Amino acid sequence: MLRYTLKRFGVALLVALTVSVVAFTLLRLSGDPAAALAGEGATEEDIEYVRKHYGFDQPLLTQYSAWLVKALKGDFGVSVYLKTPVSEIIFERAPTTLILGLCALSFALILSIPLGVLAAMYPNTIIDRTALTIAVVGQALPSFFFALVLIIVFGVWLRMLPISGSGSWLNFIMPSVALGYYATPAIMRLTRAGMMDVLSSDYIRTARAKGLRPRVVLFKHALRNAIIPVVSLSAVQLGFMLGGSIVIETIFSLNGLGNLAWQSIQRSDFEVMQAIVLTVASFYIVLTFLADMLNAFLDPRIRVH
Amino acid sequence: MKTKLMIAAALAATALTSNAALAGKADDTLNWSTTRDVDVALPYFNNVRETVILTRHTWDNLLYRDTKTFEYKPLLATSYKWVDNKTLEFKIRDGVKFHNGQPFTADDVVATYNLVSKPDSGVLTKRNVSWIDHAEKTGPNTVRVYLKNTFPAALEYVSGPMAIFPKDIWATAKKDAKGKPDYGTVAPIGTGPYKMTKVVPGERIELEKNADYWKGSPKGQPSIGKIVFRTVSDPEAQIAELLSGSLDWIWDVPKDKADQLKLIGIANVVSAPTMRVNYLAMDVAGRSGKGKDNPWLNDKVRKAVAHAIDREAIVKNLVGGAAKVVHSACYPSQFGCTSDVPKYNYDPAMAKKLLAEAGYPNGFSTDIYAYRQRPVTEAIMGYLGKVGIKTNLKYMQYKALRGFAWDGTAAFHNMTWGSYSVNDVSAIASHFFNGGRDDYCRDQSVIDALKKGDTNTDPEVRKAAYKQALTTVAKKLCWLPMFSYSKYYSFTHDLDFTPTADEIPRFFTAKWK
Amino acid sequence: MNDMTKAEKLPSAEQILEPSPTSLLLKRAFGHAGMTIGGGVLLVILVMALFSPWLAPHDPYAFDLAKKYIDPIWHANGTWEHILGTDGQGRDYLSRIIYGARVSLLIGFAAMLISGILGTALGVAAGYFGGRVDMVITFIITTRLAMPAILVALAVVALVGSSMWIVIWVLGLLIWDRFAVVMRSATQQVRNMDYVAAARALGCSTARIVLTEIMPNIVNSLIVVATLEVAHAVLLEAALSFLGLGVQPPTPSWGLMISEGKGMMFFKAWVIGIPGAALFAMVLCINLLGDGIRDVTAPENRN
Repeated sequence: MLRYTLKRFGVALLVALTVSVVAFTLLRLSGDPAAALAGEGATEEDIEYVRKHYGFDQPLLTQYSAWLVKALKGDFGVSVYLKTPVSEIIFERAPTTLILGLCALSFALILSIPLGVLAAMYPNTIIDRTALTIAVVGQALPSFFFALVLIIVFGVWLRMLPISGSGSWLNFIMPSVALGYYATPAIMRLTRAGMMDVLSSDYIRTARAKGLRPRVVLFKHALRNAIIPVVSLSAVQLGFMLGGSIVIETIFSLNGLGNLAWQSIQRSDFEVMQAIVLTVASFYIVLTFLADMLNAFLDPRIRVH
Repeated sequence: MKTKLMIAAALAATALTSNAALAGKADDTLNWSTTRDVDVALPYFNNVRETVILTRHTWDNLLYRDTKTFEYKPLLATSYKWVDNKTLEFKIRDGVKFHNGQPFTADDVVATYNLVSKPDSGVLTKRNVSWIDHAEKTGPNTVRVYLKNTFPAALEYVSGPMAIFPKDIWATAKKDAKGKPDYGTVAPIGTGPYKMTKVVPGERIELEKNADYWKGSPKGQPSIGKIVFRTVSDPEAQIAELLSGSLDWIWDVPKDKADQLKLIGIANVVSAPTMRVNYLAMDVAGRSGKGKDNPWLNDKVRKAVAHAIDREAIVKNLVGGAAKVVHSACYPSQFGCTSDVPKYNYDPAMAKKLLAEAGYPNGFSTDIYAYRQRPVTEAIMGYLGKVGIKTNLKYMQYKALRGFAWDGTAAFHNMTWGSYSVNDVSAIASHFFNGGRDDYCRDQSVIDALKKGDTNTDPEVRKAAYKQALTTVAKKLCWLPMFSYSKYYSFTHDLDFTPTADEIPRFFTAKWK
Repeated sequence: MNDMTKAEKLPSAEQILEPSPTSLLLKRAFGHAGMTIGGGVLLVILVMALFSPWLAPHDPYAFDLAKKYIDPIWHANGTWEHILGTDGQGRDYLSRIIYGARVSLLIGFAAMLISGILGTALGVAAGYFGGRVDMVITFIITTRLAMPAILVALAVVALVGSSMWIVIWVLGLLIWDRFAVVMRSATQQVRNMDYVAAARALGCSTARIVLTEIMPNIVNSLIVVATLEVAHAVLLEAALSFLGLGVQPPTPSWGLMISEGKGMMFFKAWVIGIPGAALFAMVLCINLLGDGIRDVTAPENRN
């Protein structure tokens, strides 16, 4: 188990490093950070000064190593626009995105797991078909369009929910639904498939034959086994949501990392952009790492592989 | 009208369920919003309109321009006089305190004027301060401001952008990336009717009533207890918040939405003219490249553009209200402005003919830069497309576009200018055609004429000089002035508010009904 | 005894008339509800896209500022001249929807082709060669998955500029991961088959083996993924255009139309409803088709 953990950890670290290199290169190559940092109205002289002072005239590799060393200490530079350290800004904005992601995932799980279980219990019936229809519709609905529809219906026509800002937990309801809906089909399908497999397995048949009540059989044994792949998938989906929240955050004016990324892109705020890409990638890497660990812990066969 | 019924029904429903509205009369807080995010909330170091508004509330100037008569009233100065053409003398008022308790004195005036007029002070709009040579305290309550040249419009600037800071505040500036002091980082301390109590850059700015605001100010005494500015970057979210009550005041509502809001009747909808002018700038000076492939160097091309666009239709259908087509690079009420300049009517056939004569029988492709009111730019793009000029829209934030305009990349851009609400041609034409970084004309005769107009004290000489400059600009079409804006305001029925033509909402004279 | 053996050797009538695998497939396809509906509507959309100049009642770029936001035909003040109304610049909505199908399909297909070639190459290589190659390619896939696609796309487009082809390339170079993953596992399954071992024993070159033995057997999965990735690309383009960094005005893109119509959404919901419904319909049908292909070509996968 330990060897496996270390191996996965090593890979995770390497992935994080590669992502940071790619993000760094992409951003440095497509603009002049010296000009951006020097601000408008800066003369050629000023820009040169900034270039030397911050080492932008050095080869990319040197710049990257310097950035990496500082990053490992937690220093991600200073935001050109907000004039405050990037790490501060990220710390401020990250919780909103994390809350949004977790709420969206919760919504997806609350909707899809019961649906998947029901569909598996009554395959090829109207219940099954309804569940599959919800899944198929969920995959086809653009999340930003869905968000707008929710705003019109629940924010203005019915006036039930607030539509912008992050003042209270109510503010997160619509964004979570709009963001989480997209993950529903995958989780539902997986739950359904997993349940069906397990329900028809020998183990369950034996338990039933032993005379255990159907409900007990179902929820204690089947669900526990079927849930394993769902946990992994949920972790991955959460990772995607944290990275893909930009559209939802801008529509609902939630001040999370996605919104910050959008603003930074528009302002050519390199340091912030880079830090956000790295932060979001790290979330994903950590989540998949944890999912792998959980899987390996629950299902010993994986470790041996 | 189905929508109207639905929204009315929704209103009735919410009368029963109180949706937490932390806004409005109920808690004496005026929530207003624009879509712009404000990073620096100080005068001098930011030139966005939101800062101009906040400046009026938090700081006082030496003089105050009356909104109706345009006369200069005493504010922090009890009187003024022109000692000679290049010297202004002010008598300074007693008994005024800054928000931090410090007493206001003549030294503060001197310190402010001297610092902002320094060439490396970092002031963004140099025109606002470049007329000042230096200031001196010549008596316990007397200050003299020495001008570099005769500059009759000086009082416009004294009463407009020149806010007064405490003298010690400049030393508290933080250092920037270049190692120089960044004066935009000092605390927002002034003497105005509101104290700036909280600034979250890019998000919100809070003002609280200054209960000790000095009596007898032409600004009156503030009534509303708290004013909160919030950036709501999504215009639809703004409308929704206005409808639901969590915002009390918005402006810049596009005509279509304003018409719809009026129909529904939940909030007041008022339109007022503004000094803001929309214009198209063309690279006559070849700043983006002097080669043959720069179509803007050809004056037939520029004339074609002027004839291709139906400005009346844009004004009537997209902008609405009191908006008007404008023919010269100024707003009609500004001193020195005249519309007696070459005019270009809507004539797409003529535009095509000119393009063919210029060597572009099939038109050409170009980028067009813009930052505001996209439908207007898109309409412009549509008209140009009809005569064969294919445009590629580069829509971006104001700050980014400003940078491109300054470094010459944006050869063809659609921008606006509010002149800081200064009612003088020097605040617009002299800003854009003085050979500086905003100038795409770079015409020496214009530069000279503007200088003459800026520095001569004889009003007739000034008018003639400005007319000459404006005529050349119109002939050369460095600018195609489009129209003057009308702004739509929408605010809660609980608020007693009157918009002014200078595009500076005065919440310090507003009251709850 | 002899009679019976003899009888078995002769093909019976039923055996001669047994339908070929292709017609069996088609039969299954038409029997599959999702596939017929999805495929059918998609065909309509395809026709719309191919024949836009003949189907659209107006020029999608023709604008008239005096005729803004005319309501569609089902409103009191609708007019037959503009069945689906007009947008904020007075352009006919129906025509823009019809031409918008072109934009979505073009971008969807092109991005799918680019990502398909890239992803399949990587996936097949990883699945066939295994070992170090597999390790490296899996690492590349994991890294790509860790990077937030939409953020990277936005950043690149914001810095490089946005045009249809830039969007296509950016999307194509970002969404290849599903191809790689699916093709990798499909290749792995096929690699261990007898006929591949036989081909290897015969000394066939790697390229030959891949092209003649492996590819034909994984092409089913490829088609399914390709279909689903077209839908993915269409949704991503819509999101990019919605944010203003995709297709630029005045090009009619459904995502852009939603973004342009957002201003009126509280007052005239149809302005965003119509392009939104169009997007939904297109993506739904593509997904149904893809799912249908998967069900029909490998019925054992269906539960």
